[in-house]
Amino acid sequence: MSFEKNLLQMKKLIKKKPVQETTLASFVMPQEPTYTEEWKSAGFNIVENQYGIVFEKKTVYSPHTKHGSFNLSDVFEAFKLWNETEEQHPIATNGEGVVFFDTETTGLKGTGTYIFLTGQLKYSNGQFELTQLVMANPSHETAFLYASELWKPDQTYITYNGKSFDWPQLQTRWVLNRSHLPKLPEPKHIDLLHGSRRVWKDDLLHFKLTHLEEEKLGFKRVGDIPGHLAPIIYLDAIKSGNPTTLLKVLHHNEWDILSLLTLFVHSSRLLLQDSYQETANTSTNIGKWFSDLKIYNKSQEHFEQITAQYNLKDAARAFFYVGFDYKRMKQTEDAYRSFEQSLAHLPDQLKIRAYEELAKMDEHHFKKFDHAQGFCDNALELIGKMTFKNNKQKTRVLESFEKRLKRLRNKESISRASAQFDRKRREK
Amino acid sequence: MKRKLPIAELLNEWKQDPVMKERIVHWHTVKETPANLADFPKDLHPSIIKALHTRGITQLYSHQREAYDTARKNQSYTAITPTASGKSYCYHLPVLQSILEEPASRALYLFPTKALAQDQKSDLNLLIEQMDQDILSYTFDGDTAPGLRTKVRKAGQIVLTNPDMLHSGILPHHTKWVSLFENLKFIVVDELHTYKGVFGSHVAHVLRRLKRICQYYGSNPVFICTSATIANPKQLAESLTGEQHELIDKNGAPSGKKNFIFYNPPIVHPTFGVRRSAILEVRDLAKRLYVENIQTIVFAKSRVRVEMLVTYLKELTKKKIQNDSIQGYRGGYLPSERRAIEKGLRDGTIQTVVSTNALELGVDIGQLQACIMTGYPGNIASAWQQAGRAGRRQDEALIIYVAQSTALDQYIVNHPAFILGQSPEEARIHPDNLVILMDHLKCASFELPFTTTDQYGEFEIQELLAYLEDEGILVKTSDKWHWMSDRFPAHEISLRSASQENVVIIDQTIPAATKVIGEMDRYSAMTLLHEEAIYLHQGIQFQVEKLDWEEKKAFVREVDVDYFTDANLAVELKVMTEDKEKHYENQSVYYGDISILAMATIFKKIRFDSHDNIGSGPIQLPPEELHTSSSWLSFERPKGWTDSMLTEAMTGTATSIASFVPLFVHCDRRDIHVVPQVKSTHAELPTFFVYDSYPGGIGISERVFEVWPMLLEHVYQHVENCPCSQGCPACIGAQDASVGLKEEVLKLLSYLQVSTKGEQHVF
Repeated sequence: MSFEKNLLQMKKLIKKKPVQETTLASFVMPQEPTYTEEWKSAGFNIVENQYGIVFEKKTVYSPHTKHGSFNLSDVFEAFKLWNETEEQHPIATNGEGVVFFDTETTGLKGTGTYIFLTGQLKYSNGQFELTQLVMANPSHETAFLYASELWKPDQTYITYNGKSFDWPQLQTRWVLNRSHLPKLPEPKHIDLLHGSRRVWKDDLLHFKLTHLEEEKLGFKRVGDIPGHLAPIIYLDAIKSGNPTTLLKVLHHNEWDILSLLTLFVHSSRLLLQDSYQETANTSTNIGKWFSDLKIYNKSQEHFEQITAQYNLKDAARAFFYVGFDYKRMKQTEDAYRSFEQSLAHLPDQLKIRAYEELAKMDEHHFKKFDHAQGFCDNALELIGKMTFKNNKQKTRVLESFEKRLKRLRNKESISRASAQFDRKRREK
Repeated sequence: MKRKLPIAELLNEWKQDPVMKERIVHWHTVKETPANLADFPKDLHPSIIKALHTRGITQLYSHQREAYDTARKNQSYTAITPTASGKSYCYHLPVLQSILEEPASRALYLFPTKALAQDQKSDLNLLIEQMDQDILSYTFDGDTAPGLRTKVRKAGQIVLTNPDMLHSGILPHHTKWVSLFENLKFIVVDELHTYKGVFGSHVAHVLRRLKRICQYYGSNPVFICTSATIANPKQLAESLTGEQHELIDKNGAPSGKKNFIFYNPPIVHPTFGVRRSAILEVRDLAKRLYVENIQTIVFAKSRVRVEMLVTYLKELTKKKIQNDSIQGYRGGYLPSERRAIEKGLRDGTIQTVVSTNALELGVDIGQLQACIMTGYPGNIASAWQQAGRAGRRQDEALIIYVAQSTALDQYIVNHPAFILGQSPEEARIHPDNLVILMDHLKCASFELPFTTTDQYGEFEIQELLAYLEDEGILVKTSDKWHWMSDRFPAHEISLRSASQENVVIIDQTIPAATKVIGEMDRYSAMTLLHEEAIYLHQGIQFQVEKLDWEEKKAFVREVDVDYFTDANLAVELKVMTEDKEKHYENQSVYYGDISILAMATIFKKIRFDSHDNIGSGPIQLPPEELHTSSSWLSFERPKGWTDSMLTEAMTGTATSIASFVPLFVHCDRRDIHVVPQVKSTHAELPTFFVYDSYPGGIGISERVFEVWPMLLEHVYQHVENCPCSQGCPACIGAQDASVGLKEEVLKLLSYLQVSTKGEQHVF
């Protein structure tokens, strides 16, 4: 039977009465769910606070626990690397108050989406401890959020896409419960998704955490549930009272968080350890990242390592980027040489920029107007063959080179004329 | 400088011209009215006074002052503001004043479209600049840059948006708008009269949700509505906003002299009463005004007509290079195209614009000199809105109503008092529509859980919430109903139409550079975007090459042909419930729910100019289903009538009924359908069905149920008084055979007459 037909049968249910003024009631303790005992026997602890109850599951790991290619204790080494660096970097932390954090939610956005599970991995007293909290039902949300202790100060959260997903969602839930909860601080937040996108650009096709695990972290999940089923599983658990399948969501969350730790270790090493490298591409990406952050000593270090170590083909982008570093330091000859060497194997988009830089240096520094014209001609030819996102962009690039070319021709004829003049004068 | 013929001279010429004299059935002049002014309020902030002085304003119109005073008493109000009466000051002044007094105050402005909001923002920002104050006003809609959104949410003191954005972009994310909702002092609803029918019913719920959120954050805003002239502004405002309103309807703005001309195209076939096509007459009139350099707006009823007229008129500029002085304007054009046209109208580079009712709204195009209406727009309020587009303050205005050959149009051209003398109709909404109510109940549940004792607006909802729990969308805990689904309900509900998804129109004339040139709702697409249809866009013809119904995409290619296409829609109808019934001598009338299956069947190719049928083809599209409310009249078969006689007489009668229903229940022609059945599937009796065009119904057929006898009496008189001999488009529809059916229709109508003594006539 169609939805409309069902509705038509309900027409008699529409009743109206004058609008009533309602006042906001003070907090009323919600009733305990009927399935508390069942969940207890499934392995949950019951945590009670002034707002209701929360289900909790704690898991303890020794520092030597292996997850993929790493030991959990490797994280201390990563903290040490950051402590030895002076630079400010988005994923830098001294290791104090670090929490590896992930949530599961009932939807993707909006005030109707609940967080029903938080997982927090911390190190204390010689061991790693994962605390997973499950919202007993939506009426116990205040209790759940309070128990999460996310309101406590001086913590650093390490997440995967937490900046644009988990934390804004948490803020939404907090606003809805704000009359009862302590204020939610703006903590230090390290989002490894952003970092991974930078490091593995042009290397990985997509950045799902499970994909990263298999490609980079040496870990493969067996028997995992797909993340998009989590909302239905939670709904079913609080409706039926049976938590069996929900435990699989907890396992999924546990894997996510352990991988967060190993991803942090792996990324930190790639960024800071000279001897720790994947490919020329990732190293170049990392150098570029440092360069964009204006940490030039690090970026140059990475680029020079690649140009020294790899063949011209693999090092093309490194030559290109280090060219800008040299240019910045007014080492024009070095810059020129780098751009020249990059040319043979650069992708077209970058190659145009390399031609532009070479033409500039020839024009302004070396005054070799004919050389500069040659680079412009090369660029124009290349642009003609390329496809751009839109025609406007193409026209803009073309015009800028044509303008430069015109100016160069002008300059060349002037310089030739003045040279001629000088020669004639000398002859006289 | 081109020669410019004053309107007065043109009118004199027409008065002398025997041909025009015959065609112009009625002249009417409305005298100019002087302004009624009032002093600035004593407490008005000096910076506002300064800005007004900069604009050359030293006094307010009386209605602006009244609006200000009412707002200052924290009383919600509705101001009636015809075109060019300075309506925006009715809300700007109190809102700006409140922000200057308390910078934390917030105001939310709602406009029926994104375009209007953007228009008003430029104007408001200019005013603020002239005030020399820092007041942050922003539009918030789909075009707002992501980087700016946080700023708008946190710091925007005046936020201008539209109901759709409020519905799906603001309310479901209210936690990001805490500073707005905690401090909301004013909610401005501009163009109130547009919130009627289905759209209005949806918006009534969006506002109930808005008020619910305000209450949650502890604010209690005042509503300010502005409206064009309608019969029931106060009632509409009150049912839309759920607040008690004061009405401000004494307009203090001056207006210039207006000349109304009622023009009836000449009869070309006296026997069948066939008149020359109104479109062709409008074309000729518009050409004349174009030649005389009179800036003109032409209103046509459908997108197709707009495009036809643009095609015709562009002949005038064909030989001039880069001349864009004639333009079309309608829904389906891209926003950038529309903005360019609006600007062209304001600065005078566009001289003639052909528009659908899209330009009835307060889109700022300045005031034009003349307006031509192609037929009756469907309701009196629209007619006045369209007429209001013509008339500069010091200038005479010319408004020409060109009658089509439909019954209602012919009735009006012969009874001009219908438009001139009557108050415009009521704008009604029907928030009780169960489909709409349930839609918004979902959204409201998503936004904030209901408690087990809550009501929603005026509705008791506990049983409805239980239904949603059964559907697996809500979970009930000890005290509340919680949304528990990964769906985002606002995205599944469109405020504008029954069918959610629009069909996107893709131009693939150049295969390497395909581009989207417009969109259309699903129902219209069945008859306008079927394969082989000629789709017109800015006067350019496109042929639909492929309609991907699953993906909602129509692929078109530019063509140059001398015909347009017209499609038929077949309808199958079943009665589901009978809620009310009344019995008369030989007939019974009912009200209840029905289900309709609509299917596009065939299309015809019709040549321009001659309007000959030059070919046809089938349309292969799946049927669309609609459940709605209906009122129907079943009668005993008159003795001696055969099936085929009855079929033809009923078809003619249905045409006539359809024309007059809008008159009796004050609705738009498009809001209802009339279908005759010789042997209805449910009672086996001859039956006329009148049904609402929207799922669940919007209360129109319920009113029809009450007025059947008067409706039939009126239809009978009209057909009888029609001067044609065989039946014509003005009474029972065009007759194709040489044998007209007028006599049969009259016989049937006379058979259906019921004594209406004691019942009050509607007009």
